[in-house]
Amino acid sequence: MSKKLLSGPYILWMIGFTLIPLGLIFYYGMTDKTGAFTLANVLSIATAEHAKALWLSLGISFLATCLCLLLAYPLAMILRAKGVGASGFIVFIFILPMWMNFLLRTLAWQTLLERSGVINGILSALHLPPQNLINTPGAIILGMVYNFLPFMVLPIYNVLAKIDDNTINAAKDLGANAFQTFWHILLPLSVPGIVSGINMVFVPALTTFVISNLLGGSKILLIGNVIEQEFTKGSNWNLGSGLSLVLMVFILISMALITKYDKNGEGNAF
Amino acid sequence: MKKRSRSLKQFFADFYLVAVLIFLYVPILTMMVLSFNTSKSRTQWGGFTWGWYEQMLSDPNILSALYNTLLIAFLSALIACIIGTAASIAIHSMKPVSATVVLGITNIPMLNADIVTGISLMLAFLAFGISLGFKTILISHITFNIPYVILSVMPKLKQTNKSTYEAALDLGAHPLYAFFKVVFPDILPGVLSGFLLAFTMSLDDFIITHFTRGAGINTLSTLIYSQVRRGIQPSMYALSTVIFLVVLILLAIANYKPAPQKVRPGIDPAAARTAAARAGKGRIPEKFQKGAMAVAAVLIVAAVSWVSVLKYMTTDSDELYVYNWGEYIDEEVIELFEEETGIHVTYDMFETNEEMYPIIEAGAVRYDVVCPSDYMIQKMVENDLLAEIDLRNVPNISQIDPAYLEMSKAFDPQNRYSVPYCWGTVGILYNTERLKALGVDPPESWGDLWDPALSGEILMQDSVRDAFMVALKDLGYSMNTTDEGELKEARDRLIGQKPLVQAYVVDQVRDKMIGGEAAVGVIYSGEMLYIQEEVAALDLGYSLEYVIPEEGTNLWLDSWVIPANAANKQNAEKWIDFLCRPEIALRNFEYITYPTPNKGAFQLLDQELQEDKALFPDLDSLEGSEVFQYLGDEADGVYNALWKEVKSW
Repeated sequence: MSKKLLSGPYILWMIGFTLIPLGLIFYYGMTDKTGAFTLANVLSIATAEHAKALWLSLGISFLATCLCLLLAYPLAMILRAKGVGASGFIVFIFILPMWMNFLLRTLAWQTLLERSGVINGILSALHLPPQNLINTPGAIILGMVYNFLPFMVLPIYNVLAKIDDNTINAAKDLGANAFQTFWHILLPLSVPGIVSGINMVFVPALTTFVISNLLGGSKILLIGNVIEQEFTKGSNWNLGSGLSLVLMVFILISMALITKYDKNGEGNAF
Repeated sequence: MKKRSRSLKQFFADFYLVAVLIFLYVPILTMMVLSFNTSKSRTQWGGFTWGWYEQMLSDPNILSALYNTLLIAFLSALIACIIGTAASIAIHSMKPVSATVVLGITNIPMLNADIVTGISLMLAFLAFGISLGFKTILISHITFNIPYVILSVMPKLKQTNKSTYEAALDLGAHPLYAFFKVVFPDILPGVLSGFLLAFTMSLDDFIITHFTRGAGINTLSTLIYSQVRRGIQPSMYALSTVIFLVVLILLAIANYKPAPQKVRPGIDPAAARTAAARAGKGRIPEKFQKGAMAVAAVLIVAAVSWVSVLKYMTTDSDELYVYNWGEYIDEEVIELFEEETGIHVTYDMFETNEEMYPIIEAGAVRYDVVCPSDYMIQKMVENDLLAEIDLRNVPNISQIDPAYLEMSKAFDPQNRYSVPYCWGTVGILYNTERLKALGVDPPESWGDLWDPALSGEILMQDSVRDAFMVALKDLGYSMNTTDEGELKEARDRLIGQKPLVQAYVVDQVRDKMIGGEAAVGVIYSGEMLYIQEEVAALDLGYSLEYVIPEEGTNLWLDSWVIPANAANKQNAEKWIDFLCRPEIALRNFEYITYPTPNKGAFQLLDQELQEDKALFPDLDSLEGSEVFQYLGDEADGVYNALWKEVKSW
């Protein structure tokens, strides 16, 4: 009994600072400036510019998530092969960059990608033509992959590291080749990590407004930019909240995926 | 053969690992290099210097942001650890159904978009009447940190063996005692990694802090974001380099210490014996860690209470809350004012008029004196947010050139609410050499920004009114039009220009033009002096010139106003009067390089500057130019909607 009381502060905290705030978003999203009920804010996602921003966000964050997955999975397998002793070190090298401020890291990419930036400097030293890298969708995707890659590597690594070597050896003894081992043993066992990684990359990528501003030159309007502008520039909090509600649909989907594939929280990033 | 293929595989694996590490660390290396760059530009190397490190140590803004960041990270991680660990233990003993529900809610702050979390918390704080500041950031950070702690602790808790705990109870230990001696040591690694993770997340967060900080407090993230617009101070890179190296060394040391022995959970009596033995002795490193954490916690709590006591004690002396644009005053002027008057100044910065407005409107922080722009002053007057300035307390207003008081009448018809501080024009900055290379003549009109030869060479302003001003002036309309037909034409004009535009930027246009990123950029006249000095100093082989397009442009004024709810109105008037003194206005001009409306200060300038027509154009020559007016919420909505169409095209 007394143990259950321990959750009291936490439950109160979550009600006060997670559920009630979400309720407020809901309230703002469902009302207009005068406080009357309306669905217009939510439905405005269908207007041309909002729908386009959402599609673009979905497309870009989908690509970024795929790239993260493709980069991270082999990496996690290599790291697993490095052995147990390395695990502290691995978390360490992937978390370390986070101690350099996120904005500064992204700005550093600006310096690298700009027309007179470092990469083009190297290209011209090699007598290659300069490339137009900054202010493109590619630059935004790069920024996303860069910032969110650790969130894909760590959960996948964590589930892979838990797989017993004996399981793999057993498969090999039974005549499975490397691909079969991967396909029938490693991949199914690492699904919780993959699902968790996808969630942790896709959701922030879908909703970012900073990366698209800094690396996209504000030419590419993502749904995160639209919401941010409604709150900070357009002063239309109802519309901003309504669009946030639309985004929450995707969060519900990810929560559903997690409950389905990662019941025991094995795929936690850390 | 097989061996060789294995070593080849090994080679590729290592190669891949190194490649990813390079990808992760190249931007960090770039920052470190930039921290030694004499030039402020991110793309030009001006020589090696330690200067930014010195500046970092003497910049009160950076130091206070660092202090806030570390304090918030530490406190939020600590509190999240306490609440989260307690909750984990409770969840562990819950029935599966309720545990699932609670864990589902736990996931919300992690899965929710940062922007939604941030905004929802902001709405809640405003709804509950909690003024935004240090405590709201702290609460928000605790909120998003708790899930990380729970997720780190829960797995460890699952690994613990209930029998050891029960054994301790059987041996007569009090439940609390048994917990701290038996269960806690087992979950401690989880708690510690949760703490570290929470600390890191708090440190790295920008978006949630951005929405919940309100005004008056900066963390490193928000300070950097405010600098992005006006050009990052390299001392920020210096600070990041120091932080990075400190963390690197600390973590390396922590990593090299021998791994603690793991006690395998067992069900035999031996386990109980181990538990009992632990209960008796406890291992030194853990004791040390716990002790260190406790000491650190006490120190931090003491420091916080001391700071808040200090704040409390200083409130009864003379106060002045100033809210100004970023980098819009010579900070020594604030010190001079404090020394002379004995008034303590709390100085805050905003980046856009639109960001400032809701803060004043909600009264979240009660500022005494604010420096908005023309159209925003009009909006504030119309919404009864401003107090009349008692000009008898501002005798130095006689130093302001009457021409600018006349100009102010566009938004403050009787000069009752505002005293001009800076003014200027918006024009086109162009890179002479680059235009020559492209075979394009220097621009003379806004229409030149639609020249297809300039494809990818144009930097436009990323704000609604400024962008529409360019198109409206080009079309020959008023930039204060509310005619939807004219606005739609302007929208189409802007959409037509978009393929030629390299980027929409605000203050970054300065850095980008210095770096030679684009041939032409729409810019505020005040940036000119700084840019030309910087280009000359770097010896870049090109020069940047400024032109006011012939169709006329936006004449803007930033003026001091006093909010209606100001608590220290007389001090605010003293402040305004102080800034109107010619020698003070001159100091500010030399620092911010935006044209001053102060005729006393103007007369103190070098003749060369006085005659710089780009900086100080004759007001009569600006025919066709206008001052922005507030057009009402409805028209604002139309502008915003049309601008969104341009941006999403």
